[in-house]
Amino acid sequence: MTPVTDEDRLSETFAALASSTRRAILARLAQGEANVNELAGPFDLTLPAISKHIKVLERAGLVVRSQRAQYRPCALDPAPLEEVSAWAEQYRPVWEARFDQMDDYLTRLRSQRTDKHDD
Amino acid sequence: MTDSSVPQDAVVIERSFDAPPALIWQMWTEPEHFKEWYGPDGVTVPVAKMDVRAGGTRLVCMEMDTPGGLRRMWFTGEYREVVPNQRLVYTESMSDQNGNVLSPADLGMPPGHPATTEVIVELQDLGSRTKMVLTHTGIPADSAGAAGWAMAFRKLAAHVEAQGRGSAG
Repeated sequence: MTPVTDEDRLSETFAALASSTRRAILARLAQGEANVNELAGPFDLTLPAISKHIKVLERAGLVVRSQRAQYRPCALDPAPLEEVSAWAEQYRPVWEARFDQMDDYLTRLRSQRTDKHDD
Repeated sequence: MTDSSVPQDAVVIERSFDAPPALIWQMWTEPEHFKEWYGPDGVTVPVAKMDVRAGGTRLVCMEMDTPGGLRRMWFTGEYREVVPNQRLVYTESMSDQNGNVLSPADLGMPPGHPATTEVIVELQDLGSRTKMVLTHTGIPADSAGAAGWAMAFRKLAAHVEAQGRGSAG
């Protein structure tokens, strides 16, 4: 049987990203690591609330928390995001081909109109 | 210019067409025109139902000739922004022929394919020509739109790029 672990992890990544607060936390961490106190400030959230969001991000593998210091800073791990973004590139050649066809179709339309109106 | 080596959350394609915006708008919003270009090579579009107004639904069928016979794929979605000749935003999910949304994984799509994507078409009048920017992006289920999602990703992209440098295979 094909392992579904990759897909499970991706579902978890999507679930983790399905919150504007968690996306904002990630954007903040993209600028550098921060501890829970630092993260709570700009979001106007209680420490337990922010901790809950961080746990969701940790489970999805998007955030790692250091064990080295008492304040346990959070850092971004972008690896799951790279997997998420891979789907998009599959669509690029499809859209390019479509727009080539749109171009051709527009040319056909133009020549038809020119024929009809004879101008 | 989009650097394709940087992981993207979205496909962004910019094209310019030798036609006015009103005609490009028709390409997207009138089934008769849409069917003429939307199918990639070897794919036809036998059905395109479009209720083009904010909150209106769409249902598109793509049909391809495969060695195993004709294969039909259905896509449904909702129009979110309709500004004639300027801006069109709609969602897209794989569905059955009645517009019931199906999971991408059930349909054999590769892992990582979001259940709902958003397509944004922006048109800019360049006189007799039109610049078109297409953005096709994944959206989380509870999101009001892709903008916040895309913005978060863009901020992360720089970080991802820095991290990924030298570690890419």
